[in-house]
Amino acid sequence: MKKLLLTFFVVLCFAFVSFAAEILLEEPVIVTSAGQSPGALQFTVVAKMVSLDYKFDKLYKAEDVDMSQFKTFVIVVGASGKGLGAAGIDIEVEINRVLALAREAKDNGLKIVICNLEGASRRGESSDKIVTTLAPLASVYFVKSDANEDGFFTNLSEEAGVPMATFEMTVGLKDVLAQYFGK
Amino acid sequence: MKKHVLVVMLVAVLFTGLIATITAPTVASSNGMVAAVNNYAAEAGAKILEMGGNAIDAAIAVSLALGVVEPYASGFGGEGYAVITMADGSKYAIDFRSAAPMMATYEAIAEKGLKLSSINYTPMGTCVPGVLAGIKEAWLLGATLPLSVLAAPAIELARNGFIVDETFSQTTSDTYERLLGSAFDFLNEGFVWETGSVFKNPELADTIERVVEEGIDTFYTGSLADEIDAFMVENGGFLRKSDLESYRAIVREPLHGTYRGYDLYVPHPPVSGPQFLMVLNVLENYNLSAMSWDDPLAIHLIQQALVLGDVDRKAYISDPEFHDLPYEAFMSKEYAKTRLMLINPGKVFDQPYASYLGDASPFADGSTYEEVLLEELAPVMSSARAVEESPSTTHFSIVDKEGNAVSWTQTISSFFGTGTYFKGFFFNNEMANFASSYREGDVINLTGGMRPRTTICPTVVMKDGEVRWILGTPGAGRIVSMMVNLVVNLVDFNMPIDQAIRSPKFVGYSSYTDLRMEEGFPQSTLDFLEKILGHKLNIYAYPDLFFGGPNIIAVEENGMMIGAGSLRRGGSASAPEF
Repeated sequence: MKKLLLTFFVVLCFAFVSFAAEILLEEPVIVTSAGQSPGALQFTVVAKMVSLDYKFDKLYKAEDVDMSQFKTFVIVVGASGKGLGAAGIDIEVEINRVLALAREAKDNGLKIVICNLEGASRRGESSDKIVTTLAPLASVYFVKSDANEDGFFTNLSEEAGVPMATFEMTVGLKDVLAQYFGK
Repeated sequence: MKKHVLVVMLVAVLFTGLIATITAPTVASSNGMVAAVNNYAAEAGAKILEMGGNAIDAAIAVSLALGVVEPYASGFGGEGYAVITMADGSKYAIDFRSAAPMMATYEAIAEKGLKLSSINYTPMGTCVPGVLAGIKEAWLLGATLPLSVLAAPAIELARNGFIVDETFSQTTSDTYERLLGSAFDFLNEGFVWETGSVFKNPELADTIERVVEEGIDTFYTGSLADEIDAFMVENGGFLRKSDLESYRAIVREPLHGTYRGYDLYVPHPPVSGPQFLMVLNVLENYNLSAMSWDDPLAIHLIQQALVLGDVDRKAYISDPEFHDLPYEAFMSKEYAKTRLMLINPGKVFDQPYASYLGDASPFADGSTYEEVLLEELAPVMSSARAVEESPSTTHFSIVDKEGNAVSWTQTISSFFGTGTYFKGFFFNNEMANFASSYREGDVINLTGGMRPRTTICPTVVMKDGEVRWILGTPGAGRIVSMMVNLVVNLVDFNMPIDQAIRSPKFVGYSSYTDLRMEEGFPQSTLDFLEKILGHKLNIYAYPDLFFGGPNIIAVEENGMMIGAGSLRRGGSASAPEF
C-alpha cells in the first residue's frame, strides 16, 4: 500500500513538473489588481523575493500602458468592497478596466497569469465574475489551494486546457514563480 | 520577599491549568463575568476573577490582553474611558483620553506643507497615549493583585502566540497597503495574517514585561518615555517626553442620568455620555414598549432623536478642561422636551440636519421647558463636521461576584491608528478628531494639551442600587446609535442581552443623509420608512461591524450574570468556574 502511495506521489510530482514545463513565463512583468483587494500588493512582495523584473499599479488603464514593453501580464484577482470604494469605482468598471488591459496584453503577445493569492477569502460572486470574464484570455492560473476546494479553478483550467499551479501558503507562490520564470 | 513568593505562586497557578474558565459567545454564571470582543482577552479576565481578583483586576488584565490580541484596535499607544461602580456604592469615571502634544498646532502642520487631515497616518497624527495612565488609576482605585499577575496573561499571549481570528485577518488585509509601508515587522513575513495562523509578538511581550518591572511611570517619565521621544523626533512626530510627563488620567464621578426608572452611569465629555443621555431623555417621552423593535414608527422616532443628539454633540461636547460648555443642561430632561417638539412622527427631518442645533444653555439654571420657550430660544451656532468613520476601538464589560462592575472602552482611533509601529504596539491617530482647520468658535480646534472629542460611551446601568447591565461598543459615529438601540431593546422591548445584540441595528447620525440599517427588518417596515416617512434607506448586509461590536453583561435579580460577546466581531463571554 505504502509503495503504491509512493508511486502515486512520484507520478504526481512528475506530472506537475511536466505540466509546468508546458509554459515558460518571461520578464519583464506587468502586475495589476482585479478587484482592489490587497492581494496584488502581496504579489509584489513575493515578486521581490524572487527578484522578478516587474512593474505594478493597482489601477493601470489600457490607454496608459505600453504593453509591448512587457512579456507577461499578471492579474491578481480579489474583489474587495473597501478597496473598490477607496478607488471610487464599482465592480463593473473594474472588470472593464482589467479586461481592456488583458485584451491589449493578448494583442501584444503577452502571456496572461490569473492569480488568486488570498485563497478562499477572495472567492465570492464578484471575484468569481472577474475570473470567469478573464478566463478566455488566461495562459496560466496561480491559485492558493483553499480557493479551489470546490474545483472552480480546476474546471476552468481543464476546460480551456490552460495549466494551473497551486500553493498552500501565500509565501508558497515564491516557488511557483521561480519555477515558471525559471528563477 | 513574601510578596514575591505570592506573585510567583499566582503566576504559576495561572499557567498550570489549575484555573478553569468557561468561554463562549454567551455564558451564564454567578461567579463573575467578562464580555469582550475576543475570547483570549475575555478568558484572561475570567482567569483573574477565578484567582480571586476583583473586577478592576480583571479589567486591567483584559485591557492589556486586548492590546496583544487586537493590536489594531487598542494597546499601549492608545487611550480610552472607563466607568466603574463598586459594590460599596462608590463610582468612578476614569478619563484616559489622549491629549494633543504641545507642539501640535495648525501652524506647525502648515509649516510642513500639510493639513491636519493629511497627517492621519503619520507619527504626527499621534496624541499622548493614555491607556497605561488609565490602568494605573484603576489599579490605585481598587485593584487587589500586583501588576505582574495582571499582565501575565497578556505577556503569555504575546510571547507564545494565539490563533488569528477572522477579524484580525480581515483588519490586516484591509490595512495591508499602509502596514506594508509603515509596519512591515508586524506583518507575517510581509503578508497578511491569515485566519488560523499563529501570531506571536515577542517585542510586545518584552515591552509589557518592561512596564511591569520598571513600573508604569517608565512610559511617562522614565526610559521608555525617552525612547518614545527619540522615536518621534526621528520620525517627525509631535509627541515629546514633556507631553508624556505632564499627562494624567483624570478620575471623576461618572455622570448620572435615568431612563424609565433605571440609573445610568456614563462618561463625561469629551466623550458621548451626555449625548447618550440626551437621546434617551427624548425617547422617554414616547411609549416605545407599545410598539415593537421592527415598528417603523419606533425606528423613525429613535433615529430622529439620535440625529438631534448628534447635531447637539458638535456644540456641547468637548474637553471640559478647555471649554466650559453647558453639557449638564444638554442632558437635562427639560431640554429634551424642546428637542422632542421638533420630531415629526410622520416625516423625516429636512436637510441639512445641522440647522436643528438646539440651545441648551437656558436650562443650566434648572428652568422648565415651558419657562424657556415662553422666553423664546436663541439658537446656538456651531460648525458641523464628520468624525472618523472606522468601526475600530474595543469595549469590554466586567462584573465580579461581589457586584463590582467595570465598563471600559479603549481605542487607537482608526484600525492600526497611525500605522506607526513601535516596540510591538501601534500609536493612535486621535489627532484626526480635532477640527481639520482652525475655525473661530469651534470647540474642537486643535489645542496643545486638549483631549479630542469622540463618541465612546462605556456605561453601567443600575436598578434600585444594583448593577443591571454593563455595556459599551466600538463603532465611531455609530456608537451612540448602537447604545440607544441596545438600551431600548433591553428596557422597552424587554429583550435578553443576546437578542438585544443580535437584532438588526440602524443609525441616526447627522453626517448621514440616509438611514443606514442592517438587513433583517421586515420589508413592510422598510417600505413604510421610505414611502410614508420619507427616509432614504441604505441597507447593509447582516451582520456588519460598521454598526458596532457591543459586549454586554446582564445581572439578573437572582444574582445570575449573563455575558454576551459581540457577534459582529467574534466576541466572547468568559466566567470563572470556581
